[in-house]
Amino acid sequence: MTAFDDPFNPEIRLGGGCSCGAHTTQAAHDAETDPIAGSSDVETLMARSVEIAVMKEMFGPDVNRRAFLRTVGAGTALAAISQFFPLAAAKEAFAQTMGPIEKTKLQIGFIPITCATPIIMAHPMGFYAKNGLDVEVVRTAGWAVIRDKTLNKEYDAAHFLSPMPLAITMGAGSNPVPYTMPAVENINGQAITLSVKHKDKNDPKMWKGLKFGVPFDYSMHNYLLRYYVAEAGLDPDTDIQIRAVPPPEMVANLRADNIDGFLGPDPFNQRAVYDGVGYIHILSKQLWDGHPCCAFAASKEFVTSMPNTYQALLKSIIQATAYAAKAENRKEVAEAISAQNYLNQPVTVVEQVLTGTYADGLGNVKTDPKRIDFDPFPYQSMAIWILTQMKRWGQIKGDVNYKQIAEQVFLATDAAKLMKEAGLTPPASAMRNHTIMGKVFDPTKPEEYVNSFKIKRA
Amino acid sequence: MLTSLHARGALLSIAIFVVFIGIWHIAVTAGGGPAGLAVDPEYAKLVGAAAAVGQKTPFPTPGEVGLKLWSQISDPFYVRGTNDMGIGIQLGYSILRVLMGFLLAAAVAIPLGFLIGMSPVFYRALDPFIQVLKPISPLAWMPLALYTIKDSQVSSIFVIFICSVWPMLINTAFGVSAVRREWINVAKTLEVGTIRTALHVILPAAAPTIMTGMRISIGIAWLVIVAAEMLVGGTGIGYFVWNEWNNLSLSSVITAILFIGLVGMVLDLMLAYAAKLVSYVE
Amino acid sequence: MASRPTITVEGLGKTFPGARGGSATTVFSDIYFGVEEGEFVCLIGHSGCGKTTLLNILAGLDKPTAGGVIVEGAEVIGPSLDRAVIFQGHALMPWLTVMGNIAFAARSRYPGKTKAEIAAHCQKYIDLVHLTGSEQKKPSELSGGMKQRVGIARAFAVEPRILLMDEPFSALDALTRGSLQDELTTICRETHQTSFMITHDIDEAILLADKIILMTNGPEAKVCEIVINTLPSDRTRADLHHHANYYPIRNHLLEFLVNRSKHFKDEISAATYDPRRPPMTRPAAVPVPPPRVAATP
Repeated sequence: MTAFDDPFNPEIRLGGGCSCGAHTTQAAHDAETDPIAGSSDVETLMARSVEIAVMKEMFGPDVNRRAFLRTVGAGTALAAISQFFPLAAAKEAFAQTMGPIEKTKLQIGFIPITCATPIIMAHPMGFYAKNGLDVEVVRTAGWAVIRDKTLNKEYDAAHFLSPMPLAITMGAGSNPVPYTMPAVENINGQAITLSVKHKDKNDPKMWKGLKFGVPFDYSMHNYLLRYYVAEAGLDPDTDIQIRAVPPPEMVANLRADNIDGFLGPDPFNQRAVYDGVGYIHILSKQLWDGHPCCAFAASKEFVTSMPNTYQALLKSIIQATAYAAKAENRKEVAEAISAQNYLNQPVTVVEQVLTGTYADGLGNVKTDPKRIDFDPFPYQSMAIWILTQMKRWGQIKGDVNYKQIAEQVFLATDAAKLMKEAGLTPPASAMRNHTIMGKVFDPTKPEEYVNSFKIKRA
Repeated sequence: MLTSLHARGALLSIAIFVVFIGIWHIAVTAGGGPAGLAVDPEYAKLVGAAAAVGQKTPFPTPGEVGLKLWSQISDPFYVRGTNDMGIGIQLGYSILRVLMGFLLAAAVAIPLGFLIGMSPVFYRALDPFIQVLKPISPLAWMPLALYTIKDSQVSSIFVIFICSVWPMLINTAFGVSAVRREWINVAKTLEVGTIRTALHVILPAAAPTIMTGMRISIGIAWLVIVAAEMLVGGTGIGYFVWNEWNNLSLSSVITAILFIGLVGMVLDLMLAYAAKLVSYVE
Repeated sequence: MASRPTITVEGLGKTFPGARGGSATTVFSDIYFGVEEGEFVCLIGHSGCGKTTLLNILAGLDKPTAGGVIVEGAEVIGPSLDRAVIFQGHALMPWLTVMGNIAFAARSRYPGKTKAEIAAHCQKYIDLVHLTGSEQKKPSELSGGMKQRVGIARAFAVEPRILLMDEPFSALDALTRGSLQDELTTICRETHQTSFMITHDIDEAILLADKIILMTNGPEAKVCEIVINTLPSDRTRADLHHHANYYPIRNHLLEFLVNRSKHFKDEISAATYDPRRPPMTRPAAVPVPPPRVAATP
């Protein structure tokens, strides 16, 4: 479950139709929103609805206010909220945390994938501007390029794969530079896509000899694909070929038969289906529900030398992430980021990814609203899992101080603080157990976890 | 009856073009004729037209490319954001990079070429370096440039510099060393100083050879910028091509190829014209 | 004591080192002669006797390996504006116009003059060689004769003390050569230009030269003898061959070129040959008129 599960269910008792006003019945509304929310008790939900309403008020006019009205419904809701929550005081408190911004003109690099949704949408939907920033979002060709441009300070901050800041900090694949990852952008949202000529090979056991693309050596994609095939008994280093292919080049390579499949980010899985080139074998959500993927990252130097800029930027990203997390906003977001200036994809492709109602490439229409989700909180336990996989596949050697590196890079405290300021509820602890393909990972015992695998390099 | 050679040539050109377009059209449309399998209309809405009938998105027809071309020509200079700019702007970035690298190379290669051409000692001293550095693919310098310069824009200009410098250097050295002895002797008997001899005798005498070097250089530079921009990304026609290929938008790739050819031709014509200005008949 | 000649060539020799360890080649050696003020001297010899090398040494473009050249009391160590050269190939700069080529020379001589003054100066010499109207033409638009006229105008435009010519008309057809010879004769006589010309054309030498130096074949070429022109000084190409002395001179020169130049080594050993004072002859059918210039020392 995420920090943004729909909080409005209790309000339906106030009037007819649905709580957000966009659906004729509450049933239709529920179909689009998270059913889990209904399980919480009334008091908690009420508190969260207030918090989210306040957060939304912060967004100001235009698109966001429309969204707000659509979400909350009538003005009566506002009146109800103000009874519980002193809006003016909240605004003031929020403003106080912001000192003068050291640098307003920023360049942020992104890879044109839906993982970057918060970073991208914050531009056309005004989240950066609202926080006093003049940000230029620059589409970038691949992960190595985005890493180098960020290390060279051409970009002030960038869209990274969540393992990258860990790798950069440890000097794996580049010179060691202290890096921070104050926010995860998205969870889930990846898939294994196979070429249409492999329609019959729907079991990883049949994949011996195939060539797969992953976005980068230091990516969740690489670790998840390796994990998946290893669970099926294949050695990812000897039984299949894995090569790094920049996400934008994946479909073209699949079409050109350079690879047989890829574990890649959306919208390229969906694009492969759209062009009749591939089919979606499995969503990454089915491997590890809630796995982190991409991240918003900045150098330690940026964070310390320009703390206010950093805070404003992080706030924009967290606000955008929050907005994107809401199912009813997804269509609007899809439209905003499909444009040529951003993802440069047909709207329907992006929409299928974000709404989770999609064609699978085999003639079926499937629905999974959590196909991609957005949650900014950087669980340090996730960083530890990533480190265990780096260790498992020999990307890092020797003893690893898992906890220390995770804490140094995954800035859970910062995110938690800003999430609270933005009216969100961060989890109480940055450490939790995760379940990956049915196997529980305990972050307090990383070394045992690594040793528990049969297929490994360490 | 057509008597003019020009007219007949033009007619043949048009005929070849029409036949080419015709074959292209037939080849593309012939394959995707009958529908493969009938699919759920709900599903068909979610995928491309070809995927809906179990096909892969086909190669674009000449008509689609023509439409794309028209939309690009009718609005070539729009800027709708950092990542969405007209084809004219993309070409402009590439041309700008080529010219910067090229002029920088000329500023280095021509004086150095003079030195090598005029001094046998320098020739012998620098020759081994030139022979080793000349055959290196300019793109091989890219990682080194990115690492040391730490700026992708400057790096791509550097790559243009390094690829345009050799033809100009070698041609200048050759042109200078091959200046007819007589002209130098004329200058000597007229007690003309070294600088005046260099500027008024050797430079104009070697100018046609130097211009040939420059023409070769700009041709190579234009070839290399497309590849360099594919590597570095951001802006420029090379990145545009790569981006459109990644997006499987082959119509844009084809129109971009056409523009690359046209710009290359114009650059070559400009230098050919400049070469004509400095050429002489002995 | 007689006044020193304008040009004195003393013991001049040129030896080229052997290529790749081979033996060295002495093209010529022990060359002695003088050119008086206002005198026109021609040097005749077969190709390979080092004529062009000799002229280049006089011009200062080449260095001798033995002896030296003294011009107006100073040893030649390099080229000088006082010694203009008309080259065998016209050596015009093809990217400059007729005016440009001449102005290039004139500006070297008179760097202080304004553009207009230079143009006026050049125009004078363009008119002199009858190229009026072709000022703005490029050399490639000119005929061979016209090109060499530009070469002549360029040489005269620096108003040199001495004019050095290396077979200037050898590349031209007979008719063009004739008219150019006439013009050169006129100009040189009018200006009393001290001139030294290399040629292998006997009639050209008889028409132009006051004194003809005969060089034997190389290697080790020597000055065989010096022939004093016995024709009247106002001779023209048209009346040249009517003069009684024409054939004696012509035959003498021809005899030299055809026979004597090959066997001169025998002559040296037979006679009392002194390279410092090569024999002087005045081939004539009628009594020789008084010499136009003072006798050489």
